[in-house]
Amino acid sequence: MRLVLFDLPSQKRFHFDPLALSRPIWELRCGMTSLIEKMIDKIGAADVACFVPPYMAEVYSRQTSRPVNKPESLTGDDLLLVNARVRAAQFNVDPKGPSRINFDEDGECLFVRIAREDLGKLNTASIEGLIDSAKASLEVCNCEVPTWNYTWDLVLERPEQITRDFAAAGRGGIEGTVEEPSAIRGSKDEVYIGPDALVHPMVVIDATEGPVYIDEGVEVHPFTRIEGPAYIGKKTILFGTKCREGNSIGPVCRVGGEVEESIIHAHSNKYHDGFLGHAYVGEWVNLGALTTNSDLKNDYSDVTVVLDGKRPIDTGSRKVGSLIGDHVKTSIATLLNTGSYLGAMALVAGTGKPLPKFIPSFAWFLEGVVTKGFGKGKLYQTAKMAMGRRKLEWTEADEAMWDEIFKITAPARSEAVKKGRRMLAGR
Amino acid sequence: MATVEERVVAVTARVLQLDPGDIKPEHAFATDLGAESVQSIELVAMFEEEFGIEMDEDAALSVESVGKAVEFITEVCKEQGIEV
Repeated sequence: MRLVLFDLPSQKRFHFDPLALSRPIWELRCGMTSLIEKMIDKIGAADVACFVPPYMAEVYSRQTSRPVNKPESLTGDDLLLVNARVRAAQFNVDPKGPSRINFDEDGECLFVRIAREDLGKLNTASIEGLIDSAKASLEVCNCEVPTWNYTWDLVLERPEQITRDFAAAGRGGIEGTVEEPSAIRGSKDEVYIGPDALVHPMVVIDATEGPVYIDEGVEVHPFTRIEGPAYIGKKTILFGTKCREGNSIGPVCRVGGEVEESIIHAHSNKYHDGFLGHAYVGEWVNLGALTTNSDLKNDYSDVTVVLDGKRPIDTGSRKVGSLIGDHVKTSIATLLNTGSYLGAMALVAGTGKPLPKFIPSFAWFLEGVVTKGFGKGKLYQTAKMAMGRRKLEWTEADEAMWDEIFKITAPARSEAVKKGRRMLAGR
Repeated sequence: MATVEERVVAVTARVLQLDPGDIKPEHAFATDLGAESVQSIELVAMFEEEFGIEMDEDAALSVESVGKAVEFITEVCKEQGIEV
């Protein structure tokens, strides 16, 4: 049986922007692992193929050993096609059962189970063709299939998920080095410190409320306090961090200040003081000193988030921080309002006031307004430099993907730039 | 109706807080008029607002002097069908 994950353009895909602009939704993280890892574990699949939006296929195919957008993956075996938004933990479909298809309330396909003998009567030339032909000929399964609907679902789920992932990993104990005096509170079985990890003196690891997983090569500097549940990814460095419960950080991040219930992807830096709470941060982000996000409104009402530059969406939660896209840079003392959206590649100069809640991708937020700034060429130069410092290459495929993202995000940016010009003219 | 040059000078004076009479076509925005990088971006935005045009930011920011800005904006207006 082959597991075929698909993340196709749909009405709901933008619910995961700005993080999913440059990656399939299943590469988002919840707990210690990504959604794809969770789904593969759940299904127990050894053979996995992926279908992603065409503009990111080349970049993604370099990041995974699995076939990406290969129609030949749609033949030759029993198939289980699963939408990227499906929650693995609650996905209880028999992968060997009869051929059938399932939709959400808006008619978006969530999974298709296809027995090999039924493939001959379906269109296997493309993933879209296969789903369309399955829709026309297979029995509809009316079972309930829970989905991830927005990025903040992952943030809000995370503390419990870290605890489940820690148990699933089945590790405990100290393989790295813990220098004295340091303190581990709670059960030592709830703490794992991986090989080559180094915990400096004067560090507190508090596992009384949940497990703490410190992955290999992590360095924890003095005066850091890590509250579980927490996952600190490989080769991350914590600089006297007040690491509150529920964080999933790294790999290869540099983090200081206060961080609570947040997810931070690889190669992102928040070296300095400043609070980050209930936030989802992409790759290659740099948050300047004292950058702080609000994750709770003063009136304790539900947080709203603007994903398209127009309509606020009620998250249904009182605690939601910022959604910060890949390659975002913020200046010193940037203040992010509750439920802020910082689009990918955005460059933000703080003004001393809370920013607007929606900063489009590739925007230069300067002097309190969205501008075109120095354009995407300068942003690419910065991205190349940041990646080069970590011995990683910015390729032509990267540039082509980001050029496409620039086009996809142009309407919202154009509106914001026009508004910014009017504001400047009115001063 | 004011000429393109008069409008460019007026915008430049407003953004850089200068006397319009002190701004000459040969003046470079950065070295002669003291425009800092953020003000260069503001100038591009204000020229777009003044003339109702969209300029490529890389091309616009490579324009160094007031006179060259007049030529550049005149050309963009022509391309985008804006009467000046």
